[in-house]
Amino acid sequence: MNWLITQLRKPEWSPYVAGAGLGLVTILALVLSSAHLPAPSLIGASGAYENLVAPAGLAVDPKNTYFNYIMPPGLTWSVWILAGVFLGGLASALLSRTFKWRALPDRQWTEVFGKSVARRWVIVFLAAVLLEYAAGIAGGCTSGLAISGGVVLAPASFIFIAGMFASGIVTAMLLYRKRY
Amino acid sequence: MTIIAPILIGFLFGFLLHKGGMTRYHKIVNVFRFTDMAVLKFMMSSLVVGMIGIYLLTDLGVVASMPITPTFVVGNLVGGLLFGVGMAAAGVCAAPIAAGSGEGRLDYIFPGIFGMLVGAMLFGLTYNQVYPAISKIANEGPIVLPEVIDANHWLVIGLFAAITIVLFYALERAIRLRRNRVASE
Repeated sequence: MNWLITQLRKPEWSPYVAGAGLGLVTILALVLSSAHLPAPSLIGASGAYENLVAPAGLAVDPKNTYFNYIMPPGLTWSVWILAGVFLGGLASALLSRTFKWRALPDRQWTEVFGKSVARRWVIVFLAAVLLEYAAGIAGGCTSGLAISGGVVLAPASFIFIAGMFASGIVTAMLLYRKRY
Repeated sequence: MTIIAPILIGFLFGFLLHKGGMTRYHKIVNVFRFTDMAVLKFMMSSLVVGMIGIYLLTDLGVVASMPITPTFVVGNLVGGLLFGVGMAAAGVCAAPIAAGSGEGRLDYIFPGIFGMLVGAMLFGLTYNQVYPAISKIANEGPIVLPEVIDANHWLVIGLFAAITIVLFYALERAIRLRRNRVASE
């Protein structure tokens, strides 16, 4: 029991252990979703943002196909998963005493991009818009497509991961230049 | 529909994202610089464990079926290419934005979540013009690798696990060599 508490209080685990844990979560998700939903689903995040924005989408375009039939408004299974992700991050941060209100990331960011909060927030905003739009085109994000597709051995997942790494490496090279 | 089950799944997911370091800018961007491979280690470990359990439960009949993500080559690839740009530029990702918000990161809570919602809005509003056209190209539907190469799924899983272990071994060795070199300089 003491061992468990020590582990839960650690700010960071080996990525192998945390990743293996996430593998177990996909198995749990298969069992629970099979029991509670008409069709099973694993994990995901990008779909929840679509359900959440759907009321605004329908206000702009009441006849919109996507927000009427494919991702309608509502507190769906994915929205509750996303709420859980927030709570899980909060619980882990509180247990490890790393919770802190902060407007900028770690030192590596400020060394490369400076201490401007405005610059960080504009880049995060643009990146988030791009990520969510890209997840829409691809059929999911890192969790909903790369992990959930990978564990069932769907080629879609591996194609997505290859694309993600290719452009991620090029983007990092362009942004870091000599520091790459 | 129960709300306890999805909250539990999400809770464990967010907890592990935080413990794995996935809510931090440098962890995500450094995988693309090959200076910290935690993202790759995290993803590959989850895939190996997940695929063994999911195929086992399906083979044993504990669950009726598994959800197969559809493959439409161009959409998956173009989506992945755009996704990687955002991920490397800001060091964020869809689920880590939510988990990192729980850690007190204001850049995730405000521009991060707002950006995700704007992206979702833009996708929904342009859906008819974009998605049917792109998902039509090389659309293979819900296929899996064992079908594609006509092999038993346990053979594919065994191969994937073997490749992962070799990759991890090589990664750890390369990291140790670099550390020794840095130390001796």
